Amino acid sequence: MPSADVVVIGAGLAGLTAAIAAAESGARVLVLAKGHAATHWGPGGIDVAGIPAASTPRDGIHRLAGLPGHPYAFLGDDVAAALEWIRPHLAAEGVDYAGDLDTPHQLVPTSIGGTRRAAILPAGQAAALSPWAAGERLVICGIAGFKDFWPEAIAASLTRERIWEGGNRPASVTPVSVALPGLAARHNLNALQIARRFDDPAWRTTAIEALARAIASVPGSGGRVALPAVLGIREHAAVLAAARDRFPAAPFEMPLVPPSLPGMRLYAALRAALIRAGGRVQIGEMIERVEHDGRRVTAVVAAAAARTYTVRTGALVIATGGIAGGGLVAERDGRLTEPLLGLPVEAPPADQWLAVDAFDPAGHPLEKAGIRTDAELRPVAADGASLFDNVRVAGSLLAGHRYIRERCGDGVALTSGRRAARSLTAVPAGHAAEPGSE
Amino acid sequence: MGESHAYDVLVVGGGATGAGVLRDLARRGLRTLLVERGDYGTGTTGRYHGLLHSGGRYVAKDALAARECIAENRILRRIAPASIEDTGGYFVATPADPDDYVDGFQAACIAADVDCEEIPVAEALRREPALNPGIRRVFKLPDGSVEPWQLIESNIADARAHGSDAWSYQRLVGLERDADRIVAATLHDERSGSLTRVTTRFVVSCAGAWAGQIAAMVDVTVTMHPGKGTMLIYNQRMTDTVINRCHKSSDGDIMVPVHTVAILGTTEQRVEDPDVYEITRDEVAALIREGEKLFPDLGKMRLLRAYAGVRPLYQPPAEATEAALKDGRQISRAHTVLDHGPRDGVENFVTIVGGKLTTFRRMAEDTVDTVCAKLGVTEPCTTADEILPNQVPGKTYWLGHRLADHEAEGGGDANLLCECEFVTRPMLDSFLDGHPGCSLDDVRRGTRLGMGPCQGGFCTFRVAGVVGERAGHAGAADVAELADRAILGFLRERFKGTRPIAAGRQLQEQWMISGVYEGCLGVESLIEREAPEVSREVVGAQR
Repeated sequence: MPSADVVVIGAGLAGLTAAIAAAESGARVLVLAKGHAATHWGPGGIDVAGIPAASTPRDGIHRLAGLPGHPYAFLGDDVAAALEWIRPHLAAEGVDYAGDLDTPHQLVPTSIGGTRRAAILPAGQAAALSPWAAGERLVICGIAGFKDFWPEAIAASLTRERIWEGGNRPASVTPVSVALPGLAARHNLNALQIARRFDDPAWRTTAIEALARAIASVPGSGGRVALPAVLGIREHAAVLAAARDRFPAAPFEMPLVPPSLPGMRLYAALRAALIRAGGRVQIGEMIERVEHDGRRVTAVVAAAAARTYTVRTGALVIATGGIAGGGLVAERDGRLTEPLLGLPVEAPPADQWLAVDAFDPAGHPLEKAGIRTDAELRPVAADGASLFDNVRVAGSLLAGHRYIRERCGDGVALTSGRRAARSLTAVPAGHAAEPGSE
Repeated sequence: MGESHAYDVLVVGGGATGAGVLRDLARRGLRTLLVERGDYGTGTTGRYHGLLHSGGRYVAKDALAARECIAENRILRRIAPASIEDTGGYFVATPADPDDYVDGFQAACIAADVDCEEIPVAEALRREPALNPGIRRVFKLPDGSVEPWQLIESNIADARAHGSDAWSYQRLVGLERDADRIVAATLHDERSGSLTRVTTRFVVSCAGAWAGQIAAMVDVTVTMHPGKGTMLIYNQRMTDTVINRCHKSSDGDIMVPVHTVAILGTTEQRVEDPDVYEITRDEVAALIREGEKLFPDLGKMRLLRAYAGVRPLYQPPAEATEAALKDGRQISRAHTVLDHGPRDGVENFVTIVGGKLTTFRRMAEDTVDTVCAKLGVTEPCTTADEILPNQVPGKTYWLGHRLADHEAEGGGDANLLCECEFVTRPMLDSFLDGHPGCSLDDVRRGTRLGMGPCQGGFCTFRVAGVVGERAGHAGAADVAELADRAILGFLRERFKGTRPIAAGRQLQEQWMISGVYEGCLGVESLIEREAPEVSREVVGAQR
């Protein structure tokens, strides 16, 4: 029977972070996930605490930590260390991030012509992070026939002062559209298909030249140019370098509806870092049940590829995400359940799950639902007593935070994932890593 | 007040009934204007389960309604085939249904002239394997599903071809009365705010559940008993046949396949105001529990949204017993033409109440007969005889037609904006060209964009983009506001439909979509918090 020191369920930022941290400390780690996670529909940055009141991420952490029941109350002091720890792992896979906890939040324009707060972004979006200089222009450069990016509508929206909350913004926003080689008559391309074209060096050269000419045709000079986030996947660094070299304005990508290329690049880097550290990832595993003997989990049983797969394990990290990821299930009778271990879920009653208006400024009470843990991320009962000795919970499954609305999901995932792993591997794991034994 | 217009007849209400009355009046030579406060078919007509009745639901209790249904069912198949999907219908006896009803069902159908054939249970289960395997008997009837918006458009087109008019987004705000006659009406343009005066010889109220409000404008009392019916939309067609429980009609006993989805209906609950009602989680849970008697796995299937319509139920005051008013199902589904001359002393005013979508043409015929008698017009009704415009004889709707049409033209890259419903950029452009000033809701009804399983998650911002591109090219000044309204209006509407059914995989989907729009696309930055409420989410550039 296969075995591991640590099984991690869930392959999002929290799960992969936990797995890398556990593998680093010598544990034999296996990540099981039913599919890809929020990385594939997120903007690919590391949002730590992008709330409107916060000047910087560090300030935001401090403010969120003061909210009742927020996980930053016990994780907040660790965010900086977690961030500095993950950076070299990602950089080693060619994915660099700009910004840190003391970078002022900037309003970054989005692909529907809105803005969102950000401070830590991948290299492809880094040019959006600096304040706009007096007279500086923004060009929105679309790809003819690509239906997930509409430069005219984006530019028209970003021309409005209120979208920038009345503050710092570009002096002008101008749309331009370019037919790329061989794509002019194609309509049903998604971002991933275009990104793969950019990975091809010959096609890339022609495409970059076409883009450069179109951007140069826009009156004015310098400034920045926003493009849909399609600038390569495996060869993203090379595409970005070519764009920076050839374009008459500093390029940055705007993340799109799924599949999100910046998020996929982040996922690929995390996965590669984990494999480099000796861990394994298996996607497509539906977890059937988790076996336990009293307070200790002993095995995970998964169903995939027409067989049942049982892994004996010394410890378990549950990083299955919140409602969107399926880590929490909202039952029709109004209960919220955690399907793997039946952990108690902290949640409002069903008639208070959702506010009346979709965009209620106070948010929806259900957003804060999740599993309550102690500071070591052990799941606890309502009275605070821990329920399992070798189980940890990480990421958006944790109770008390609004991972989207407070723009803190990445910070919580990263910090809780790392701490969960360290907490588990501080106890003797029983086995040393056995490279090549897989 | 803008310029004044004169028409022979003013029809109030742009649902199926109003459109039918307009067509019938126009064909009898009366120059008529129809006015509707919103877009056509946005009241009860657009908020029903999509069923083309065979009459089977009424045979036991309301034989008159059953007879009218089957007669009109046959007529509509002839005059409006493109608006009808010929799904056929099964009336199935589940173990919960009483034997005496089931045993008498076929005889009752035959007595009401409703075609009814008993088929082996095994045959029904072969065609519809998701059905409860415990069903005991199955009757096959000529039910179908009907597309209400296309039907309305066809009726209006025919009326226009006969010299009449229809105006949407014009709310009737006043009627001028001179002794025993109405002489003119005042209309409020819901988008520009301007007022228009229309003089007329006759007024027909087709306002359905809202008929009381129209009648009150000339101090006439019409007491409606609006009945709310709640329906649930599933993300798939678990059946290609309309399925009815073979019992006395009740809640949650009918499933209608409509385009790419299926609709479970309905509930019956009296409401005071047809514009104010709520759908509760308990109501949804009760519907699903009943529906599981037809489809045992219903509880595991993904719901897309819940919605409700308000039936225009009317009971003459003498028959409005306490019991009937409490249980709306006891109020007849047959229709009544109220002639306000003898009834209320207003000589040139009638109201049509009751009825159902399947019989809208017959309702219109009866109404127009009354109007013509009063106006001394002797032209006979011809609406049952001639096929409607934009319809091909005998060619009923088929789900695969958009793909088949595309393939017939050579196939390949179709420039799809809405993958779920196969809506292409040329289709959207053509709709926007033909409907200046339309809203995103209008686009949805006109093209079915955003009505499929993803409920607009991946196509709405594309429409906003197209609208932005078109408006930008046309030099419109408010491009961004138009796009905002498209996106925010869609997300709010979607949320509203999801809220009462928030659970399971639909909540998961809703959470992911809001995660994308809020987390990745920063949609909240588009909201103008202090701004005054915008009355309509208009997306088409005004001309």
